[in-house]
Amino acid sequence: MMLLLPLELSAVLFGIGLYGVLARRNAVLALIGVELMLNAANIQLVAFDAWFADVRHTGQVLTLYVIALAAAELGLGLAIVLALFRARGTIDLDDVEPVRDGRHP
Amino acid sequence: MTGETRRRWPYVVLTGLVSAAVAVWAFPHLGDNAHVLSGPYVGNDVGPALPRLTLGMFVDSWSAEVMLLAAAIAFLVQLYSTKYMAAERFGSYALLIVLFLVAMVAVVATDNLFVLLIGWEVMGVCSYLLIGHHWERDDAQSGAAKALLVTRAADIGLLLAILLLGQTYGTYSIRGVLIATGHEHPRNATLIGLLLIIAVVGKSAQVPLQTWLPDAMPGPTPITALIHAATMVAAGVFLLARLLPVFDASSVAMTTLAIVAAVTMLSAALFALTQTDLKRALAWSTVSQLAVMFAAVAVANGRAAIDHLISHGSFKALLFLGCGVAMHVVGSSSLADMGGLRTSIRATFWTMTVGFAALAGVVPTVGFFTKDEVLEAVHGATNGHGAIDPTMAWAVLIAVALTAVITAAYSTRLWALTFLGESKEKHPTPFVMYGPLAVLALSTFALSFGKPFRLDVAGVSTGLVVVGVALGWLLRQRTWTSVPGRVLAGEFGFDRIFSRAVPGVALADARAVVWTDDTVVDAYPRGGSHTALAAGWVMNRLQSAKAQLYATAIVVGAVLLVLLGVLGGVGR
Repeated sequence: MMLLLPLELSAVLFGIGLYGVLARRNAVLALIGVELMLNAANIQLVAFDAWFADVRHTGQVLTLYVIALAAAELGLGLAIVLALFRARGTIDLDDVEPVRDGRHP
Repeated sequence: MTGETRRRWPYVVLTGLVSAAVAVWAFPHLGDNAHVLSGPYVGNDVGPALPRLTLGMFVDSWSAEVMLLAAAIAFLVQLYSTKYMAAERFGSYALLIVLFLVAMVAVVATDNLFVLLIGWEVMGVCSYLLIGHHWERDDAQSGAAKALLVTRAADIGLLLAILLLGQTYGTYSIRGVLIATGHEHPRNATLIGLLLIIAVVGKSAQVPLQTWLPDAMPGPTPITALIHAATMVAAGVFLLARLLPVFDASSVAMTTLAIVAAVTMLSAALFALTQTDLKRALAWSTVSQLAVMFAAVAVANGRAAIDHLISHGSFKALLFLGCGVAMHVVGSSSLADMGGLRTSIRATFWTMTVGFAALAGVVPTVGFFTKDEVLEAVHGATNGHGAIDPTMAWAVLIAVALTAVITAAYSTRLWALTFLGESKEKHPTPFVMYGPLAVLALSTFALSFGKPFRLDVAGVSTGLVVVGVALGWLLRQRTWTSVPGRVLAGEFGFDRIFSRAVPGVALADARAVVWTDDTVVDAYPRGGSHTALAAGWVMNRLQSAKAQLYATAIVVGAVLLVLLGVLGGVGR
C-alpha cells in the first residue's frame, strides 16, 4: 500500500514532464520537462528499492547515477540552448530552422 | 569519254557477267517440256510439310525463256543507264538492277516456294528503292511508297497460298506440287487459286490494285522499262502460268481471273488512249497487256501467256527506253511538249515505230503473233470444255478483241503525237542509248520466227488493227475537252480510293491506337508514378524537422506498443 503513493507521484511527475517536452515551445522549459521525467524514474527506483528491501540498494545507487547523468545532460543542454540563442536570437523551438545539408543560415 | 562515265563501266561488266551466267544456265533448258514431269509421288496421306529453304532448281522452257528475257533486258537497261542517269547514286542504282535480276531469276528458276516468296519480296523492295531513286522529289517518294504498300499488301495472298499448298500437298516443292496435281484431283483449288490471284493482282497491277504502276512513273525511265518488261510485273504472269495445274479445275478461280483480266484490259487500254503523258500512257498499256496475258491464263493456256509475256517484254522495254530518249530531248514526258521528233532523233523514231507496231500488233512483228495466240486460245475456250463458262469465254474474247482495237488506236495516237508535226532541231543520240533500242527492235522481228500462224485469226486481228489505227489517227489530240475524254483521262477517279480513303482509314486506325495507348495502357505506369509521388509527398511531410513532432510520434508509438502488449497479454 505504501508503494502506491510514490508510484502515483512518479506517474504525475512523468506526465507533467512529458507535457513539458512535447508541448512547451521554450527550449529551457522543454529541458525542465526532461528533468522531471528523469526524476519520476528516480522516484520509482527508490520506491522499488525500498519495497524489495534490497540489501545492496542497487536502486538507490542507480538513482545516484541518474542524478549525475541528469546534471551532465542539463549542462550540455543549456550550453546548446545558449549557443542557439546566440546564433539565432531566439530559443523558441518552432522558430528554429531545420539544419540541413547544404543550407546554412 | 570523261572519267566519271568511265567509272560506270565496271557495273555494266558486272551486269553483263551475271546476265551471261543466267543465259548460259537457261539456254540448254529452252527445249524442256514443262508438262512432262517425272519424280517420286508421295501420295496425299502425308501431313503438312515444315517450311524449308532448299536450293533445288526447276528450270523448264518457260523459266528459261523468262530468264533469258530478264537477263537481256537488265543488261541493255544497265548499258543504256550509263548515259541516261545523272552521276549521283549511280553505284547503288546499278547494283540494285543486278539484285533485281537475281531476284527475278530466283522467282523463275527455283523449285522451292519459299525461295520464290523471298525473290518475290526482294523484287518488291528493289522496285521501291529504284522507283524512289529521285527521293528528293515528292512524287517519287509517294509513288515508291505506294508501289511497296500495294504490292506488299497483296503479297499476303502469296504467303497464304504457299502455306495452303504445303498443307494440301505436303510439300513446298513446285515440282512436287505439280506432280501431285497430275496424280490426283487438285484439292483446295478454288481457295489456292483465289489467293494466288490476289498476289498477282497486286504484283502485276490488275484491277482493283492497278494504280501503283502508273504512279510509279516518277522513277527513272530505264527502271520503268525493267519493271514493265522483264521483272516485277512479269513475275505475276509467270507465277500463275507455272502453278496453273493447281487451280485450273476451279471454275470460280478461273472465272474470277477472267473477269479481272477483262475489266483490267479494257479500262487500262481506255486510260492509255486518253492520257496526256507519254510515259503514263505506256504504263497503262502495260497494265492492259498484262491483263491480256491473264486472259490467256484464265483459259488455261499458259503457253500463250508466256509467249505474250516474252514478246511484250521486248517491245515494251524498247518503247520505254525510246520514251527515255524523247524525254531527254524534250525535257518532259508530257505529250503537249512532244511532237516533231521524227527528224530530231531519227534512230529512236525508227526503233520506236517498230515498238509501236508490235504493241498494236502489226503483221511481221512478234506482238502480232502472240496476240493472235491469245485470241485463238480464248476462242478455243468458247466451246465449253474449259473451266470457265462459254458465255464468260465469249465475253473475254470480245474484251480481248476490243482491247486489240484500242491498243492499235492508242499506239497510233502516241506515235503520231510524239513524232509527227513540225520538226525540231537534231539531237545526236549516244550509241549506248540507241544500241539497246536497235537490239530490241531487231528482236521484235527475230522472235517472230517459228511462231504458229493461222490465216483466219490473222485476218481478223489485222482487221481489228486497221480499225484501231484509223480510230487512233482520228483521236490524235493532245488534251481532252469532251466529257468522256476527261473522265477517262482522270482514270474514273479510281485512284482516290487509294490516295484518300486508305490513308484516311490508316490515320483513323493510328489515332485509335494512340488513344488506347494514352488512356488505357499508360494508365498503369502513370498510376504507378502518381502513387510513388503521393507516397513521397507523405514521407516528405513527415520529415518536418520539428523535434517535438518526432518526440510526439515516439511517445504515441510507445503507448500503442504498450497497449498492444497489455491487450495481447489479456487476450492470451
